[in-house]
Amino acid sequence: METHDDNLLLPFEDTTSSRRSFLRTVGFGIASAAMAGCSRGPVRYVVPSLAPSPEILPGRAYWIATTCGACSAGCGVLAKCRDGRPIKLEGNRAHPASLGGLCAVGQASVLSLYDSMRLDGARRGGASASFEDCDRELTRIFAELERSGGRVRLLTGSVHSPSTRAAIARFVARFADGRHVSYDPLPASATLTAYELLFGRRLLPSPQFERARTILAFDADFLGTWISPVEFGAAYTRGRELAPGAKFRHIQLESRLSLTGSRADERVLLAPWETAPALAGLCAELERLAGLPSRLAQLGATPRSERIAALAHEVWASRGASLVLCGIDELESQLLCAYANELLGNHGATLDLARPSQRRLGDERALGELAAELDAGSVDALVIAGVNPAYDLGGRLALARAKHVIVASEALDETAVAAGWVCPAPHALEAWDDGEPREGLFVLTQPTVPALRSTRSLRASLARWSGDARSDRDLVRAHWRSEIFPRSGESDFDLFFERALQAGFVELEPRARRSLAFRPDALAQLAPRAQSPAPGALALVLYAKVGLLDGRHAHNPWLQELSDPVTKIAWDNYACLAPTTAATLGIGEGDVVRVHTEQGAIELPAHLQSGQHEGVVAVALGYGRVGTGRFARVGPHWLDAQPTVASDGVVGVHAGPLVVWGSAGRSFAGAPARLDRLARNVSLACTQDYHSLELPAALASHGHEVRDAVRSTSHAEHAADPHAVARSKHPVADQDLWPDDHRGERRWGMTIDLARCTGCSACVIACQAENNVPVVGKDEVLRHREMSWIRIDRYYQGEGEELRTLHQPMLCQHCAHAPCESVCPVLATVHSAEGLNQQIYNRCVGTRYCSNTCPYKVRRFNWFDYPHEDALANQALNPDVTVRSRGVMEKCSFCVQRIQEAKARASVEGRALADGDVQLACQQSCPANAIVFGDLENPSSRVSASASDPRAYTLLEELNVQPSIRYLAHVHSGRSTKKESGHGG
Amino acid sequence: MAANPLRVALFVALVPAAFLLPGSSPPRLPGDHSGYAPEQPIHFSHRLHAGELSIDCRYCHFGAWESRHAGIPPASVCMNCHASVSAGFDAQMAERAAAVAESRDPRRVVSPEIAKLYAALGLDETLTQQSAPTPIPWVRVHDLPDFTWFDHRVHVARAIACETCHGPVQSMERIRQVSSLSMGWCVDCHRASAAEPGGNSAQHVSTDCSACHF
Repeated sequence: METHDDNLLLPFEDTTSSRRSFLRTVGFGIASAAMAGCSRGPVRYVVPSLAPSPEILPGRAYWIATTCGACSAGCGVLAKCRDGRPIKLEGNRAHPASLGGLCAVGQASVLSLYDSMRLDGARRGGASASFEDCDRELTRIFAELERSGGRVRLLTGSVHSPSTRAAIARFVARFADGRHVSYDPLPASATLTAYELLFGRRLLPSPQFERARTILAFDADFLGTWISPVEFGAAYTRGRELAPGAKFRHIQLESRLSLTGSRADERVLLAPWETAPALAGLCAELERLAGLPSRLAQLGATPRSERIAALAHEVWASRGASLVLCGIDELESQLLCAYANELLGNHGATLDLARPSQRRLGDERALGELAAELDAGSVDALVIAGVNPAYDLGGRLALARAKHVIVASEALDETAVAAGWVCPAPHALEAWDDGEPREGLFVLTQPTVPALRSTRSLRASLARWSGDARSDRDLVRAHWRSEIFPRSGESDFDLFFERALQAGFVELEPRARRSLAFRPDALAQLAPRAQSPAPGALALVLYAKVGLLDGRHAHNPWLQELSDPVTKIAWDNYACLAPTTAATLGIGEGDVVRVHTEQGAIELPAHLQSGQHEGVVAVALGYGRVGTGRFARVGPHWLDAQPTVASDGVVGVHAGPLVVWGSAGRSFAGAPARLDRLARNVSLACTQDYHSLELPAALASHGHEVRDAVRSTSHAEHAADPHAVARSKHPVADQDLWPDDHRGERRWGMTIDLARCTGCSACVIACQAENNVPVVGKDEVLRHREMSWIRIDRYYQGEGEELRTLHQPMLCQHCAHAPCESVCPVLATVHSAEGLNQQIYNRCVGTRYCSNTCPYKVRRFNWFDYPHEDALANQALNPDVTVRSRGVMEKCSFCVQRIQEAKARASVEGRALADGDVQLACQQSCPANAIVFGDLENPSSRVSASASDPRAYTLLEELNVQPSIRYLAHVHSGRSTKKESGHGG
Repeated sequence: MAANPLRVALFVALVPAAFLLPGSSPPRLPGDHSGYAPEQPIHFSHRLHAGELSIDCRYCHFGAWESRHAGIPPASVCMNCHASVSAGFDAQMAERAAAVAESRDPRRVVSPEIAKLYAALGLDETLTQQSAPTPIPWVRVHDLPDFTWFDHRVHVARAIACETCHGPVQSMERIRQVSSLSMGWCVDCHRASAAEPGGNSAQHVSTDCSACHF
């Protein structure tokens, strides 16, 4: 009788009737009726505003031109706002420096606006206080110091805002012993000093990458972290395109594999102690080529002398159209670098001295003097704004010795926590500001949202303490009216300011200055010597990492979870060692090592990094920030969840205390270090091998063991047979499950130019911001459950100096004959009439068959309902994209919400959709314009033109899944390598 | 296994029978809220405004032409008229008659419902600001699930009348959901329009999933 109990939904197959089955049948009927009768969910309200705003219409996006405040580069952005708040930042195409690109850090800065741990209101002695009380007290203190001639110091980062600089100058001038000291957490002070010594003016020349044909970069990570990566990346890519054939050469001379080095045509491994001698050797060879007597009196032996001589010849051949760059902030190297450029005639050609960059203005000597004054306890008042010296400088400044410490910071950081007064600073998206990132280029920042917190800018604070109660907007406007507007030659200030505000910037002729004459006297004293560390010791290199930079964005979970473009590790810093060095020392991946230097010791896991100098251990800065403890519970909360932070409660380890302080400033590279292996091992969340396209050897059929997913060729090979690189090495499968007759009127497609892609990962964060991709935490990343819709696969060829790296953005390929579609049992993934591979969340039941069958491994499964508990952080969600719930599959949708928006706009305007109407988030953000999107069925579209490039190939063509994405093979001008590429490493 | 006739008969008979129980509504699928007409914080009559006074829909729901949401008008839109119209015609006339009878100036008459509007704006009967305004929490009637994307402006641009989906609003004293707003109901119309001759590509009526779900 009881044997058919499980046939609830199949009552007709029951042979007998029982009391129980009768009740069940009746119950089912009543339950369905009841469900139908009162299925209304909880009542929801719709609350309109009281008065309509001309701009804000619920559901409609509007754009505000402003300036990114995430670093000092000053890239132009258009903030996409909905319902009165910004939800996404996009690059401003019209901006003369950034040209529409925006880096990962800039993309992520919209999330920092909604950081619930930002400061709200002033603080006095560690407790909340009102701005009024603080102002009253501080005004009195400063008035007293003005009378008594007390020592007042203002410590900031590089301030290129003209109005803030004017306010600082006015403030400092009040005091008999007042001084403004600035430093950069990642300094370029030696470059400024070098130009001061050689040209008589402290300046940072603006490199013009698009005019360069040969670039020699000594440890300058200009595509990743150095000064202004978006601008440089865009110009570099353009330069590469403009150079005919193999004429563009980029040689990176570095000790560790940087993002920029990974893009170089050739790499030369130079230890930090070899850089200055190598530059001296280069200069000496250039002098010889120029037929000049040597100005370098004491020349030691040149390391890698043959290679350096060859490079000198190469760069001499393109003199006037070359660049020698040095990212090591050390005076000797910078003097030699400037001299090399002078010998090559690059000043005025590829290095603009008339419009110097103002993104690095810090002076390390002044910082050293301030440190001494603080040590002596002779500073009466210290105002700190925009920097976090207690963290950046590893506790080197005796801040507690200053009588009064006033801090203007966004969060209660390492510096603010010990300060007497904290006057919190606003986020760039809620503030008025201006800037002059390079001379003559004036940018404006305007609020995109009413202030979310009670804050005040440094400019307004300084004015207030001097009795000027004007608002920030008035201060900026007043400065523009008196200083900038008269230079424009226009007649109506209001119109001038409105227009500048609308564009986000205004470009004026830089102030005329006397021309700079080269004064080589400073070169005579140089004595570069290769000082290799003692045997058995390694040289420590501290570097900035893409995303985290100097650690100022360590509170941003998007950037923490962004895997490093080179190492592919997220949520940690680590000691990078060359594999051979690690083998010698008996250190394996993840083994915790203690790095000893004279400055101290830190303990962190080791990472084996190909392409690194054998004598170097490299550690990223920017980790171990106080306050990153908030990420302990960032991921899903479940039984087996592990915290994202280490045992000390923060993310990563602070390497700042190992920075060496010398008389000329801080030194980040070259300190001798010893390594001890500890008996612990830490798992590093390295995403590189998670979604490998490689086949397990046992499953591969003959000839398919190696898949040429990423293709690269040399200029010579490409010139000989342009089509060779795109030809598939494997026979294309001819069987097909799908008919070939389902072509629609449109087929959305994309091309990704691997020759342009620098791997900078801006697209990854842009996609995360656009598509509400959740953060999952380190533990989940270790379980291969990171959610990014677009990832950047990194491929290595070769080893050591010969290592060639390729970056390949990988996202759903929107296959015409998609394997995922044929396995879905509930039709949750189906093809659209426009060639999109659609993923329908409300239909998905989470079988994950599609993910198993996807050859590109781009599908992501929601193992959990990822936490969305922070109501403020939820303001950054894109209201046009569903927040996916537990148990559904997701993947790149080709930003279908943007396609629909563009179609809706075209429909309202009564026109057909035009090529270029749809810009995907990844495409928009790309500084290098590597991504083109459009209709492949339209022969005149940009994407069709790009797809017909002889370099275009589809990934894993042999599977015959007919992807909608074409990759354009990378073409380098290095020596050709015949080795096959491998995915791992 | 042969079907048990008794069991089949019971199932077939009881399920419809359940709908005939006292108080139950006609059969419909879960999620179908047609007929939903909740009490609103202010008794706003579409019959009066859209019907009797023939105010164009877009005067208040101006968002429908420019945004995906039609929107509920801000209270300031109501005040365009209700700054001067503070009560119904009959009440005003009665007051005027009373004023004549008592030989005094007519007093300002404010209907209880319009008084709620003034209260929301923080105004008293003479329209002077008394307190901070508080927005009006209207109860949402037409509410699509969060995974569904609907764009008013596209439908309006195709000259689809508001009544097509919202029913005879001009005769409703209290706003009521007429259509089921179910996917099948949407798709029926999309299919019928897609089959229409002469549709150009910019106005292609899609039945792709991602037309509404993303």
